[in-house]
Amino acid sequence: MADGTAQNDVLVKVEGLSKIFKTADGRTINALTNVNTFVDRGEVVAIIGPSGSGKSTLLRTMNGLETISEGHIHIDGIDLADKKTDMNALRADVGMVFQHFNLFQHKTSLENITLPQTLVRKRTKAEADQIAMDLLRQLGLDHLANNYPSQLSGGQQQRIAIARALAMQPKLMLFDEATSALDPEMVGEVLDLIKGLATDGMTMCLVTHEMNFAREVCDRVIFMDAGELVETGKPAEFFAKPSTDRAHQFLDKVL
Amino acid sequence: MLELTLQTMPFLLEGFLNTILISLAAISLGSFVGLVLGLGRTVGPKPVQNIIGLYVHLVRATPFLVQIYIVYYVLPTTKLSIFDFSNFMAAVIALTIYTSSYTAEIVRGSLEAVPKGQWEAAAAVGMKMRQRLLNVILPQAWKLTLPPLAGVYVLVIKGTSILTVIGVVELMRQGEDAIHRHPAHIMWILFLVASLYFIYCFPILRGIKYMEKKIAAKGARSVAGDAQW
Ligand SMILES: Nc1ncnc2c1ncn2[C@@H]1O[C@H](COP(=O)(O)OP(=O)(O)OP(=O)(O)O)[C@@H](O)[C@H]1O
Ligand SMILES: [Mg+2]
Repeated sequence: MADGTAQNDVLVKVEGLSKIFKTADGRTINALTNVNTFVDRGEVVAIIGPSGSGKSTLLRTMNGLETISEGHIHIDGIDLADKKTDMNALRADVGMVFQHFNLFQHKTSLENITLPQTLVRKRTKAEADQIAMDLLRQLGLDHLANNYPSQLSGGQQQRIAIARALAMQPKLMLFDEATSALDPEMVGEVLDLIKGLATDGMTMCLVTHEMNFAREVCDRVIFMDAGELVETGKPAEFFAKPSTDRAHQFLDKVL
Repeated sequence: MLELTLQTMPFLLEGFLNTILISLAAISLGSFVGLVLGLGRTVGPKPVQNIIGLYVHLVRATPFLVQIYIVYYVLPTTKLSIFDFSNFMAAVIALTIYTSSYTAEIVRGSLEAVPKGQWEAAAAVGMKMRQRLLNVILPQAWKLTLPPLAGVYVLVIKGTSILTVIGVVELMRQGEDAIHRHPAHIMWILFLVASLYFIYCFPILRGIKYMEKKIAAKGARSVAGDAQW
């Protein structure tokens, strides 16, 4: 998938990206320092690295949940660092899946999936319902359409959350540790769903601690450490023979 | 006693009517202003947040008695015609300011009590700020405002008794007049006055309790209702 290297295949381009947080007590934290990378259309990229290395921050700048301190991110040609960019319109095209699902607590599964469609995509309720029910059926979750999030297991909630994002027909899906908050027996059902999306050609960036999954499903691995993009490569090569010491040390610890 | 009651009651009720009018006006105006201020304080631009913060702290850190004096006696000395109000108007304005400051903090507190993940999820699907607030945040936040709001409303109603200092004909004022006329019956007259305040405030406190229960029950029912699978 990532092999068609023609220029116009690039969906996400990250150039000289830095992110500086200012804490309440006036300190500054360099969460990202001069990160350069890209994601091709149809590519599945795993972002890995130790805690606090800036993985989430990188992902969150890609849909404007964090502002850009320096540098640029282009998604499908749209410059996220440009003040004039309509972030809400961009976010409609970029799906985000959170560690803690973040389903709208006062809405049923079905309503969680229809609400963004009607509000943001301006679909009629009938259209939105149709799309939502089709998705729920595909995922084998249609029997849970009228349940509230509090009545669902973690794995079910996360799959509904993914369906909510998919209903917007995004160009890009971002996953921030989508399985980290799940009981072990529910991790599989969510990973299987993501695997299916990869097979369907969805462009995805996944922050993950599931190294086997990254190796198996992803086209490329990005290794972050201390806010820097240290190394990137094909999973087979990266996991077998990382070219930097930092990646080596990290893999020694987690594998 | 019955004779005294029958004799003073119309007089007290006349004041009670004003107590109701003034407090209802202040509660509705103050709640609306407080809602706007609370929203501005939470999601507005930084300078707006700071200005509202200053207002809220100023109002909450000064005694209501001082505020009513400022509104009724100090503002008119500026000779600006907009500050030229009757004591009734001054009472409504001062109480509205008071109500709005407390409501603003309650609104802010409940908005912030909605988990950050809900805000982020709403943003992440592309909702505009107004849509996030109306469709995701406020439907979860408003329930949290009820118990503290009821407390403030009761404070405001009881607070109208201070308005006697600017000569507003309200319940306390009428009670004091009645006591002057029948000093021997001070206990009974105060009992009547207190009863009227109680009759007004108690249903508010009960009403909120009832709504809280209903909301809780609704949550429970939707759990039970879906237990069929
Ligand atoms: N809102 C924030 N304010 C201040 N500092 C922040 C904020 N968000 C992240 N940081 C800091 O930025 C750095 C990178 O954080 P980030 O969450 O991106 O790491 P991560 O790689 O996702 O870690 P983890 O694996 O623990 O999730 C950390 O030092 C973190 O403390
Ligand atoms: Mg993280």
